[in-house]
Amino acid sequence: MLQYINLKIDGVNIRAAKGTTVLDAAFEYGICIPNLCHVPNLSNIGACRICIVEQIVNGRSKVTTSCTLLVQEGMIIKSNTDKIRNLRRNIAELLVAQAPNSKAIQDIAVRCGVKKVRYPFRNEKCVLCGRCVRACTELFRAKAIGFVGRGKNRHIDSPFGVLSEFCKRCGACIDLCPMTITPCSGPMKPGKERLCGECESQLYLSDKTPDHCVWCELGKGFQCGRY
Amino acid sequence: MSLNTMASIIEGRRSQPHQLIEVLQDVQEQQGYISEDSMRVISKDLGVPPMEVFRVASFYKAFSLKPRGKNVITVCMGTACHVRGAKLIINQAVGQLKVQPGEVTEDGLFTIDQVNCLGACALGPVVTENGKCHNHMNSSKLRKLIKSLKNTGTEETAND
Ligand code: SF4
Ligand code: FES
Ligand code: FES
Repeated sequence: MLQYINLKIDGVNIRAAKGTTVLDAAFEYGICIPNLCHVPNLSNIGACRICIVEQIVNGRSKVTTSCTLLVQEGMIIKSNTDKIRNLRRNIAELLVAQAPNSKAIQDIAVRCGVKKVRYPFRNEKCVLCGRCVRACTELFRAKAIGFVGRGKNRHIDSPFGVLSEFCKRCGACIDLCPMTITPCSGPMKPGKERLCGECESQLYLSDKTPDHCVWCELGKGFQCGRY
Repeated sequence: MSLNTMASIIEGRRSQPHQLIEVLQDVQEQQGYISEDSMRVISKDLGVPPMEVFRVASFYKAFSLKPRGKNVITVCMGTACHVRGAKLIINQAVGQLKVQPGEVTEDGLFTIDQVNCLGACALGPVVTENGKCHNHMNSSKLRKLIKSLKNTGTEETAND
């Protein structure tokens, strides 16, 4: 039998099945927590850190990623405090610096309130979110791609660098990759990277009416429905 | 020979995925590096997907996926050694052996490796040669070390 747990996210009383993550529980109640590496029904690895929230334990606040945090009875979560917004903005800024050629990441940055990027652009082709790896491993049970190396050499590769015989050519890795949609004005040339921010006008509304959610509208750029 | 050693390493550990790291360690020790072929054999015999073997083997620094020279000269690039001129030592080594770190010399005798602290900071700059530690390195000591290693190398091959 399903067991239910009561918790509070941003002051809302929430009832969630035992074993769900705070992120999923929040979605169910229409509380938007920005996220990147989370894919519904796949395991969460907490790679992008965009989904951080504040958890209040004994009056002290603790910052963790909501996608890897399971709901507990009486939990108090705050997803939209000044502290979280600041931290999240910085994380988004780092992500744009890492991969400015992803519309998904540019969109997330705009939503998280990034106004300028203070870090040097790296223009990498991958942000190591692990969406492709998890889809390949968990959804299709193929293990045709995975993380290789460690530290700054970590990258995605197939075994021994050649297309694996287990690859089913399903293309799920490509569908899920945030890097496959370039910014509206086309890919940025090296040295010409910038914060796109072209959707910023849409955020005007959210500035005026803080409770107005623009996530879904902007999210279409990342084709959230596609997952 | 390599297939025989592979067989003896894997012997008794077939279909035991949790033995992966131990097997990789043994292969590394016996063959000096882990080749693609041995990874494929390991994957088949232990029942671990090739991706998993590759991921683990590429993750740990203790495993080398490229052939290594007979003598591995490890130069410490940690903070203390850096301050005491590890950069010079590694440049010296590169210059004398004419290989980049991580590659093998043409005669197959040497590989230069870097680590970030060997835990003997007071003795810096530290160089280890096949696990043997040499403290307070400088270029003349390094030259002597390489020379002696070269000599033992040729003697051994002469005896063979
Ligand atoms: S290839 Fe794409 S989906 Fe895979 S880890 Fe990199 S950015 Fe994420
Ligand atoms: S969605 Fe939680 S860390 Fe990426
Ligand atoms: S820094 Fe070289 S031994 Fe610690």
